[in-house]
Amino acid sequence: MLGQIKLVLFFLFLSSIGGALWYVQHLKAENEILTLNNEKLNGAVEQQQAVIEQQLRDIETKTQLNKQLNENNAKLSADLQLANEKFNKVNASGERRDIGNLAIAKPKSIERIEGKREKQRARCFEIAQGSPLTEEELNATKKSQINAECTNIANPNYIPY
Amino acid sequence: MRIEVLEVLENHFGKDKDITAESHLMDDLGGDEFDIVDVFVQIESKLGISIPEEETFDIMTVSALCEVVERHVGSD
Repeated sequence: MLGQIKLVLFFLFLSSIGGALWYVQHLKAENEILTLNNEKLNGAVEQQQAVIEQQLRDIETKTQLNKQLNENNAKLSADLQLANEKFNKVNASGERRDIGNLAIAKPKSIERIEGKREKQRARCFEIAQGSPLTEEELNATKKSQINAECTNIANPNYIPY
Repeated sequence: MRIEVLEVLENHFGKDKDITAESHLMDDLGGDEFDIVDVFVQIESKLGISIPEEETFDIMTVSALCEVVERHVGSD
């Protein structure tokens, strides 16, 4: 009888050891899976952080571009105002200039001026779209050297007098 | 003739401007290309002359303007 009890107790002991070993192995396996998952999550978080940082940089770039565009628009509006005034310019005697009459009296001269102005207007669009200024444009300080169509953006060093 | 030219320039650009033979019509007197054409039209009208347009292209100084006008005063 005592021998049977010992045998049962021995099997119970073995079962407990076996169960404990299985449980530990199971925990180890789970731990490995959790560790792998954790690494994946950390990787995903890093990726997300990189994406967020890139988006922040993009927003900053867009804000800068928008600011630059707004500044250019303001300058172009000022130039448009000046261009409109040119057609209605009043001389020192108070006489208003009439481009139409000038074009009738001197058609070739007006056509020549308009041809030059047309080229200047095309250059204005290039500058507004980001084309860098040339040395000649940067160094223009006299009225005869400037782009009359968009002086504010084409000739930053020109001071009207 | 130079007096008439000077009168036209003063009336157009202002009597306060210091107009000399060396004055640049744009850089010194503040005109633009249309002003120069306008000045030629006024001079032609005042002196009763006609100057071919080709001769007025690229005129930028008072002395060059006077030379062109001078060539046509009396010849028209």
